[in-house]
Amino acid sequence: MKIYDCIVIGAGVVGTSIFNKLTRIGKTCLLLDKASDVATGASKANSGIVHAGYDPKPESLKAKLNVRGNKLYPQICQRLGVKLNHCGALVVGNDLEKIESLHQRAKLNGVKTEIWGKQQIQNKVPCINDDINSALYAVDSYVVSPYLFTISLADEAILNGGEIALEEDLISVKKKDCFEITTKKGTYYSNHIINSAGAGYNDVAKILGTEQKPLEFRRGEYFVFDKTYNLDVPCTIFPLPSVVSKGILVTPTVDGNFLVGPTSDESDDCTKVTSKGLQKIKENVMTTIKGINFKKSIRQFSGIRVICGNDFVIEKSKLVDGVINLAGLCSPALTSAPAIAEMVLDLLGYENKELDNLKQIEPYVMFKDKPKDEQQKLLATDENYKNIVCKCEKITKGDILFALNRPLKVHSVDGVKRRTNAGMGGCQGGFCFPKVVENIAQENGIEFEKVLKENRGSEVAVGEIREVHHD
Amino acid sequence: MINTDVLVIGGGPAGMAAALSASENGSKVVLVERDNILGGILNQCIHNGFGLHYFHEELTGPEFAYRFRKLVEADKNITVYTNTLVTKIGEKFVEVMGALGNERINAKAIVLAMGCHERTAGNINLCGTRPMGVLTAGTVQKMVNIDGKIVGKDVVILGSGDIGLIMARRLTLEGAKVHMVLEINQTSSGLRRNIMQCLEDFDIPLLFSHTVFEVVGRDRVEGIYYGEVDENFKPIESTRKFLKCDTVVLSVGLVPEMAVANFVKTSNITNGAVVNEFYQTEKGWLFSCGNILHVHDLVDNVALEAKQAGKFASLYASNKLLASDNVLEVEHSKDFSYALPATIFAGQGNTEIKFRLKAKIIKKTIVAKCGDVILGKKFVLAGVPGEMMSITFDKSGANKKISLEIV
Repeated sequence: MKIYDCIVIGAGVVGTSIFNKLTRIGKTCLLLDKASDVATGASKANSGIVHAGYDPKPESLKAKLNVRGNKLYPQICQRLGVKLNHCGALVVGNDLEKIESLHQRAKLNGVKTEIWGKQQIQNKVPCINDDINSALYAVDSYVVSPYLFTISLADEAILNGGEIALEEDLISVKKKDCFEITTKKGTYYSNHIINSAGAGYNDVAKILGTEQKPLEFRRGEYFVFDKTYNLDVPCTIFPLPSVVSKGILVTPTVDGNFLVGPTSDESDDCTKVTSKGLQKIKENVMTTIKGINFKKSIRQFSGIRVICGNDFVIEKSKLVDGVINLAGLCSPALTSAPAIAEMVLDLLGYENKELDNLKQIEPYVMFKDKPKDEQQKLLATDENYKNIVCKCEKITKGDILFALNRPLKVHSVDGVKRRTNAGMGGCQGGFCFPKVVENIAQENGIEFEKVLKENRGSEVAVGEIREVHHD
Repeated sequence: MINTDVLVIGGGPAGMAAALSASENGSKVVLVERDNILGGILNQCIHNGFGLHYFHEELTGPEFAYRFRKLVEADKNITVYTNTLVTKIGEKFVEVMGALGNERINAKAIVLAMGCHERTAGNINLCGTRPMGVLTAGTVQKMVNIDGKIVGKDVVILGSGDIGLIMARRLTLEGAKVHMVLEINQTSSGLRRNIMQCLEDFDIPLLFSHTVFEVVGRDRVEGIYYGEVDENFKPIESTRKFLKCDTVVLSVGLVPEMAVANFVKTSNITNGAVVNEFYQTEKGWLFSCGNILHVHDLVDNVALEAKQAGKFASLYASNKLLASDNVLEVEHSKDFSYALPATIFAGQGNTEIKFRLKAKIIKKTIVAKCGDVILGKKFVLAGVPGEMMSITFDKSGANKKISLEIV
């Protein structure tokens, strides 16, 4: 019987950061999730911004963890080989008093900001609305691929001895000498449990017998624009924040396109896109940016933020000893994730001392982005790099196979898409979808129709032709 | 480094026809295709109805492609590179990746013949969730006809484009229930014969002024909310209904594959390049034809157009493309959505203008005029926006703007 030091439930960016950190200090750890991949909830559907930290209320957990997380990102991304674009962020508006107070708040949080005038803003962002006269510029604001960051953390953790169990449905948890966690697939044992189940926090808490929290779900909808659309968005642009959210922002992605969103509407746990939400984005973005052609949008998506009061909840359970509760990890949770991992270590009483002999992953760099000499080497040794799968993103079969043979096994089309970008271009997988399915089926030794788009129940086909009959 | 006279990008019907024609006119031709076989989308179009105009017999898509492929393969002046993707187009050269590795191809003239991709759920801002089961018609066609897989059992088709209509029939024959085709417009952009043979013959309802309001389902499509739209295409909420289904097939139009050539001036209507009478873009060495120029209804017309473009590219490559300095702009009245080419060179001989109507017309005459002089007339018994039309006339009388009008 293997007893893990820790079982982390919920493989979003926070759970995976904790999982990764635990393996780095030499703890045995299992990461559990009901989905077929890591980062399939809020962690895949957000703005991808590593916030500077001018916004959260000073002294709050959000402020402390945001600022600390922001400082940790460059070194972690460098270690993982994950792109981090140091693009900066502008908070624009004409209420100079509000901008001044945000500047003061930034100072209290220890965040570097500058107050900019009209000319400076227009030099940086030519497409800024002509009415905008002032802005706060946050120097150390970045963008990252939130899913590739999470995936790389998972890959690295596995390489360093961590274990992941996906497609797991939690049935019961008993506490004897240690926790006995029973799922539909098996039983696992551990000394500690971290509940980082995000939107599923209360479902897990119920089974654990720990504190239920009043959670509020907010849906944020976004537009994604085509890379070939040449509107220059050089940095993240926020309007002055409101009470409920940071407002409709425009931000570049690390992949070279840009996003506009999110809305912030009360919702259940359903990631749907609504005509109302999209309309709201179109109307509100005009106050900051002029002349966005929404016909150049290639996709709209939504993500769910889980809110629990005004601050993050990161605490030891008072009801069940050995459980850490993580609730309400909405923005800036992506930024804070590495710092939350450190804090959880502290709550568990572990010293933050990383092992010396840790392994490093090979970064996710697609063939098209590799240096010329490396490309030549691959072309000479592997025919698969001569085989085009996704023409919009220029992804080869070699890239797909690379993604399918990583420490964290992936068997869904969307999983491959998050790792390679295959299917993220103008045709949105219209041409490459069946090819990617075929590659997954071949490489993983499963039937074509059993390949998943994302989670269980999303099989890409219902059968062979001449086999299906409608009753 | 590879050098050639004419480089044709895209090995579908347009590319093959352009390559053959450039070769016939004496050029050394390189044809690059991103897939591993020539033929393009024709390879998955296993229904018949192709070739009536070009080969004077009725062929299936793969048969039509096969005939062209044999001609291309037999042509010693054409070098074909399959599995080759153009990643960049520069001044008289391209960069490719794929089977050739990282290679550069220099050419005196380049022909764009990459066709289109389908408009996506994102392009039409489709609301609701993003489960498995929302697919474009061409993707479904590939999965059914090439991979031999059935994508769903209860199907709704959004948009009445030709591929959607063809797939309504195909999926029905494979045992799926196609509940309905929803068309946001008041008329279909599909061919009349396809509406009859693919929908009416199978009792599949076609609902005009209807659209999908919302897709429902977390992992797999579980149904749709649908209903009527008003004259501004806005959903009328009071008509909202639910239908259980597991698949939504999108057939909502095509987008020319101009991403790699986005430096060229394009038309806001066709989204293809702006070309002159010679299918020449503003970059003299760059030509465009087939669906990447404007979406055609019939592959036969694609091939005929590409044949012309291939000839002009060949002439350009050998410095024999002679054009008058007198460039006549082509205009059209509000009755037309577009007319192509954008300009015609003054001179002798016949010329052709292709166009689409904005609305249906019955028993009207379309004229090409230059000032008050009528250059050509065409009587139309019944014309619809879904059908590309053309008018051919002697241009020798033209010395200024040519305009298309309905009289």
